[in-house]
Amino acid sequence: MAARKARISFAIKRFKGFWNQFKKSKRGMAGIIIVAFFSLLAIFAPIVAPYDPITPMKDKTRYPSDTKPPLIAAKLANPSWYKYLPWIQRGPTNAEELFWTNTSQLGGLYFVVFGRLEVTGEGAISRATIDEHRGNATDDYMMLSKAALEAPQVQVIYPNGTTRDIANTQEWWDIRSPAAVGGQFGSPTYNSLRSFVHTLSETLGKDLVYAVFKLKYRYSSDVTENIELVPDFQFSSDQNFNEQWDWATLTGSAQLRYNSEKGVNNDGCIEITYDPTTTESESKVVLSSRFEYPYWEPPETFWAHLSVRVQGKPVDVTMTIQKDGEHKIDILRLHLDPTSLYFHRAIYPREKPVMEASGSLTPEKIVMPSPGNYTFGVEVAFSGNDDAAVYLDDVNFISYGNSFGLLGTDNAQGAAYPRDIFSTLVYGTQVSLLVGILSALFGTVIGLFLGLVSGYVGGITDEIIMRVADLFLVLPTLPLFIVLVVALQVVYGSVSMWNIIIVITLFGWMGFSRTVRSMVLSLRERPFVEAAKAAGAGKFYIISRHILPNVFALVYITLATAVPGAIVTEASLSWLGLGDPMIPSWGKLLYDFQTSGVAITKGLTEYWFWVFPACLSIALLATAFILMGYALDEILNPRLRMRR
Amino acid sequence: MGLKEYVVKRIVYSVILIFAALTVNFIIFSMLPGDPLEAYMAKMAQTTGMTEERYLALRAELGLDMPLHERYLNYIQNMLTWNFGRGEIGGGQTVTQMITQRLPNTLILLGTEAVFSIIIGVLIGVLVAHKRGGLFDTATVTASLATYSVPIFFIGWLMLFFFAVQLKWFPLGGIQPRAWGRTPPTSIFEFLAGRISCLVLPTITLFLFSVGGWILLSRACVLETITEDYVVTARAKGLKERTVLYKHVLKNASLPLITSVAMTFGFLISGAIITETLFSYNGMGLLMWNALHPPDLPVLQAIFYVIALTVIAANFIADLLYGVVDPRIKYG
Repeated sequence: MAARKARISFAIKRFKGFWNQFKKSKRGMAGIIIVAFFSLLAIFAPIVAPYDPITPMKDKTRYPSDTKPPLIAAKLANPSWYKYLPWIQRGPTNAEELFWTNTSQLGGLYFVVFGRLEVTGEGAISRATIDEHRGNATDDYMMLSKAALEAPQVQVIYPNGTTRDIANTQEWWDIRSPAAVGGQFGSPTYNSLRSFVHTLSETLGKDLVYAVFKLKYRYSSDVTENIELVPDFQFSSDQNFNEQWDWATLTGSAQLRYNSEKGVNNDGCIEITYDPTTTESESKVVLSSRFEYPYWEPPETFWAHLSVRVQGKPVDVTMTIQKDGEHKIDILRLHLDPTSLYFHRAIYPREKPVMEASGSLTPEKIVMPSPGNYTFGVEVAFSGNDDAAVYLDDVNFISYGNSFGLLGTDNAQGAAYPRDIFSTLVYGTQVSLLVGILSALFGTVIGLFLGLVSGYVGGITDEIIMRVADLFLVLPTLPLFIVLVVALQVVYGSVSMWNIIIVITLFGWMGFSRTVRSMVLSLRERPFVEAAKAAGAGKFYIISRHILPNVFALVYITLATAVPGAIVTEASLSWLGLGDPMIPSWGKLLYDFQTSGVAITKGLTEYWFWVFPACLSIALLATAFILMGYALDEILNPRLRMRR
Repeated sequence: MGLKEYVVKRIVYSVILIFAALTVNFIIFSMLPGDPLEAYMAKMAQTTGMTEERYLALRAELGLDMPLHERYLNYIQNMLTWNFGRGEIGGGQTVTQMITQRLPNTLILLGTEAVFSIIIGVLIGVLVAHKRGGLFDTATVTASLATYSVPIFFIGWLMLFFFAVQLKWFPLGGIQPRAWGRTPPTSIFEFLAGRISCLVLPTITLFLFSVGGWILLSRACVLETITEDYVVTARAKGLKERTVLYKHVLKNASLPLITSVAMTFGFLISGAIITETLFSYNGMGLLMWNALHPPDLPVLQAIFYVIALTVIAANFIADLLYGVVDPRIKYG
């Protein structure tokens, strides 16, 4: 017992001595701090990271299972702290721009070219600098409509120099044109623009080639965020319902009230009953909630959900959005027959036939074009003279902004949902550390074992091990890994993280086993080994008691220096798309960036938060291990220590 | 007489290595559980809907119907005679054509990079070793350790971001300016200028990736020799410090350096694969990337063989150089 105690206290003392030496190495300390930081991040990843890194969905369990739960955010969102950056422009700006159309193309597509024109003399454009050229009419239109959130002022400059104001003519400039009200979004604006240019060219004579417009508009941009209409969309209590919702009977006698037991999960819901008088033939009830949309840019996308059960007679259910003082817009219309179960419906605006974009004027721009107060409503229309009841539950509306989370969201190909980059980054720490440490550990253990065997046993065993090591050292590692992983991928469909660990281990032992072997070769000639042999010690005893302790210092060094290699190798393989597809590693994050279809020029500048944090994490973690290994090397390596 | 024997020995060793590499390649593609090539062919037949005729021809080309030992011999013969068959991604080009077209590009990239990184790395390494312990030493070693462990795509993206996207000094990628199209300029200077402008960023990327290793290595080698007695003698003779360093110390320290030139070649090729992919530089690395999605095993097999061959060749050349430089071999 005493001996054991003494041993332990000796070990502690030795460790303290070692630690005192290690503390002096600044590099070593820097390395250990970084590694500790990442280790903590890896351990507490589920707490630190707010979302699932592979298939993130908001309120996954809270919405009925047969509808798609909402996204966590829109694709390619910026970090939400962008709103604090002073140089990010937020709000409207007045702008003035000249553009010209080539009316000779009127039969088919025509061109609108933004640029600066110099009009000199009589009716001739002397010079046109083309800033931006849009070949396709719908593209131009998008450009204009985005520019013109609020009614702009447009001036036509005729070739002879005279001008005419066509501001607010409604001729072609109201983006919420009356045709949009019925839920049908044609593209009246585009057509009227074309006919306008057409009449212009007819009145001015066939030889008119260019029509020049001067456009005064209000351009706006903003950092928008997600807005959720109601937090308690499940109608869990009467009180919440009264706080969040209003209702009114528009026509007829149908009534709305809170029902606490007929919901989707036998919890709260809304009950609308239609108990017509003998002369009544229709009735309409609206459930509504008001919200403020404070941003100067339309949302990236929106999502609405509804669970509904109908009793008695078929009804029409309509979801609407209305800006104060503007037309009401239907975003979903349903004609529902009576059922005994709830019918669930979730919509994204791009979903057909719910809504159609007009030209490039997206539904989001039509529905929520500018800041203001909006009303979200669910209208239930009864007809006929029979009793009917409608139960509504899970009613919600979410608008998605262009900013989200700490590092925004991605746009990975093949991923159904945009993912929170920060969460992926945090979970990636686990993968990198696990792969790095495990493959280094396995590789070092194998290298130690083979080196010991090769050095101590010698002969043909030594020859075989060393020749294999030579061969493996010559083979270029990354191509070898690629080839191996692809072969595994073809056979098994996809590779797992463990495959990668095994592959890295398989080719990570050679250097160390060589070092160990050479050390063993010199150690076994030492007197203490001779003495042990003379005392009748066996091979195993000599190796484990006399040689191993002498070699062991090297194990720590090799471990620390092998980890970064494995981390970078894993990242490189994942970067090449050869990683485990079900695991959120840093390399995979970067592979997703590469294959997302975002152009590299645009991607590196606009979505730097997608690329550089992951790169930096790999680099930092790998460097930290190398620094630690280097510090260990200076303390533990007998060769270096002697020279001091 | 020693040198000749040494050379013969090295040649034999290299040939053995080539066969060993070929065997490893064969094992990976044909002997892993599930037979990757067989599985690949089955998948190809399913997804591309190729004709029965083509399928059988491809199988015969890969030797899939033969027993394993015959298949091995067939494979060895194909590889040695540079007959790599026809990949699916080539669009009519044979794999051999694809490889012979791209190999020079990769070698040019690697060669330029190696010359710069070795010369600059060794010079800095010697200097740093000479002033061991100083601030410059600490800073250089830490920086070298960092670049040594930083993933190369990070360096590459930074290069792209600063020099191609922001400053627009160099093209974003490719092997020649995009404006050339299919007709490169006839003027030799213009041609060279265009090619070089495309070579700069990949070279710098690879350079930053590998120079740290050279600095550390040459520093370590010089430190081994700088304390030897003959160096003290040389200093005592009153030789200039620079002469001592570069003539006396570096000469002896260069022996282990030469051995590791070959070692790092494999490392460099790993870097080149990613660099070429990043800059869409039309070399072996980009070819490999193109053969990954979807996987094209015959092409990968050929590429791996050719890459292993170049590494072994580089090893061989380094060995020869070693033999010439080391007097112990020449006269021993």
